[in-house]
Amino acid sequence: MIIPDYTHKMAAHCESGTITSLLNHGGLAITEPLVFGIASGIFFGYFHKMKSFPFPTFIVRNRPGQIRTNIEKRLGVRFKTQDFRDPRKGEPALDQLLAQGIPAGAQVDFFYMDYVPSWERVHINVHFLVVAGKEESRYIISDSYFPDMVSLDASSLEKGRFAGGMMSPKGFIFHLDKIPAGIDYQKAILKGIQKACFNMLKLPVPFVGITGMRMFGAKVTEWPKFARDNEHLSHEIMKINILLEDQGTGGAGFRFIYATFLQEAAGITGNPRLKELSAELMEIGDGWREISLFSARIGKNRDLGQETLKKLGNMITERAVVEERFFKSLSAAIK
Amino acid sequence: MKESEGFVDYPDQQMIIYVEKDDGKFGPMQTGSFLSANYLDDYFFKRRNLELELREQLTRNQISPVKYFMVLEELSVSELASRAGIRKSRVKKHLDPKHFGSVSLNELRRYANVFNVPAANLLQVILIQQDDGVEASLMKEDRPGSITVKQPSTANPFVVVTKIDAKNR
Repeated sequence: MIIPDYTHKMAAHCESGTITSLLNHGGLAITEPLVFGIASGIFFGYFHKMKSFPFPTFIVRNRPGQIRTNIEKRLGVRFKTQDFRDPRKGEPALDQLLAQGIPAGAQVDFFYMDYVPSWERVHINVHFLVVAGKEESRYIISDSYFPDMVSLDASSLEKGRFAGGMMSPKGFIFHLDKIPAGIDYQKAILKGIQKACFNMLKLPVPFVGITGMRMFGAKVTEWPKFARDNEHLSHEIMKINILLEDQGTGGAGFRFIYATFLQEAAGITGNPRLKELSAELMEIGDGWREISLFSARIGKNRDLGQETLKKLGNMITERAVVEERFFKSLSAAIK
Repeated sequence: MKESEGFVDYPDQQMIIYVEKDDGKFGPMQTGSFLSANYLDDYFFKRRNLELELREQLTRNQISPVKYFMVLEELSVSELASRAGIRKSRVKKHLDPKHFGSVSLNELRRYANVFNVPAANLLQVILIQQDDGVEASLMKEDRPGSITVKQPSTANPFVVVTKIDAKNR
C-alpha cells in the first residue's frame, strides 16, 4: 500500500529533496532551493588523505544530516528521529509508521539500492530517501534521483539502513512531527546565508571553504601518485565530474541551486542585492561546469600529464578566487 | 546556465539541475547525465580491464578474494574493516592470499554482506562465455547477452543457488 496523497517529486539532491518532500506532504509549501539555502547547504571540503577514502576526494555540501537539523532550528519545524542498534527492530519501527500513513525519511548506503543502475552504485552511507509504502516484502521508495517511485526488497533496504563504516546509518529514520503556525522566513534566510558565509570564509580548518578549494587546486597535481595506473587516474579525474554534476548537486557542485535560492531569497526579503549575487553565482557555477567538462574530457583522452593537471588545478584555484570575492559580497549584502 | 544549454537527452540516467529559464527566473529542469550520455562506454571499458586484471591476479594467487572485491568496490582497508566489523589488522592479513586461509566462515559471511555477493562467490569465479564473447562477471551487472546469472539468497547464509538461464525465456 502506498501512503495516500503522498506525491513523488524528483529533486536535485537527496537530503534536501527528502526534507522538502516530507515538508510538502505535511502541508508546508516550500521549494528545494529554499530548504537547501536556509540549511546552509553550500560548502566545500577537500580530503587529500583520509583513512576512509582510498583516494583524494572533495565535498561540496555541508555535513549529511545538517540540512534536517538546520531546517529544524531555523524554521521551527520538528522531525521525530529513531536509530537502532539492533537491525531486527528497524523494520518493525518503519512498518509501524507506514501503517499509520506516515511517510518516513531514511538514511541508507546507496550501494544496496538495487533499483540504481550498476554504474551509479557506490558505497556511500549518506543517501536519503522517503519510504512511502509497502507491498508484501517490498518497500515503495520515493528516491528523489528517480523520475518515478521504485520498489525495493526489504532485505536490500535493511542492508542499506544497517551498513557499517563511516557515517553508518544505524537504521536511521525520521518523520515530520510538527510545522509551526507562523514561520519567519526572512530571519531563517539571513541566518542560513550568514552561516554559509562563515563556513566558506572563516572556518579555521585548512581543508574547508575557500582555503580547501585552494588546497584542491594545488594538490590535484599529486593525484597520480595515489593511482594504480593511468586508467585508475582517469577514473578518479572523471569522478570530479560526477561529484560536481551527477551526484545530486543540481549542477556545478550546488552552485546553481544556491543561485536559485538567492533569487527566491531576494523576493522574500526584498533585498535586490541578493538577486544580483544570484546572477553572479550562476556565472561562477558555469566556471565549475567547465571544470566538470574538462575533467571528463582529459579523463577520457587519458591526457593526464602534469601540464594538464596543472591547468585543471589553475581552473580550480580561479574558482577559489571568484568565490572568495562572492562570499565576501554576500556576507556584506545581509549586514 | 541557460535552460537550452543544459539539456541532455539520456533517459537511462535522469537528474534535476537548476537553470536560467527564458524569463530570467532560475528553476529546476529534468535532464539526462552528460557524463553517462557521452562517456559511459569508457567507464565500462576501464571497469572491464580492472576486473580482468584483478581476476588474473586472483587466479594466480597474487591477491585474495577480499582484495579483489575491496578494489572493485572502491573501499579503503579502514572502511572495509569498519563495515565488516573485523579488526583492521585482520583485514590487512586477509588481503594477502597467504593468510586468506585463516578467514573464518563468520568473517567470510561478513565480507560477503559488505560486498553484496553470496559468501560462495568469495571462493569461486563464474564465467559465462556468451555468443558475443562477453563474459558475465561475479558482479551484478546488467550486461547484454543471451544468458542471465541469478544468485538468489537462501535462508542458509553460506549456501547460494546459482541459476543460469536464457534471457527472456
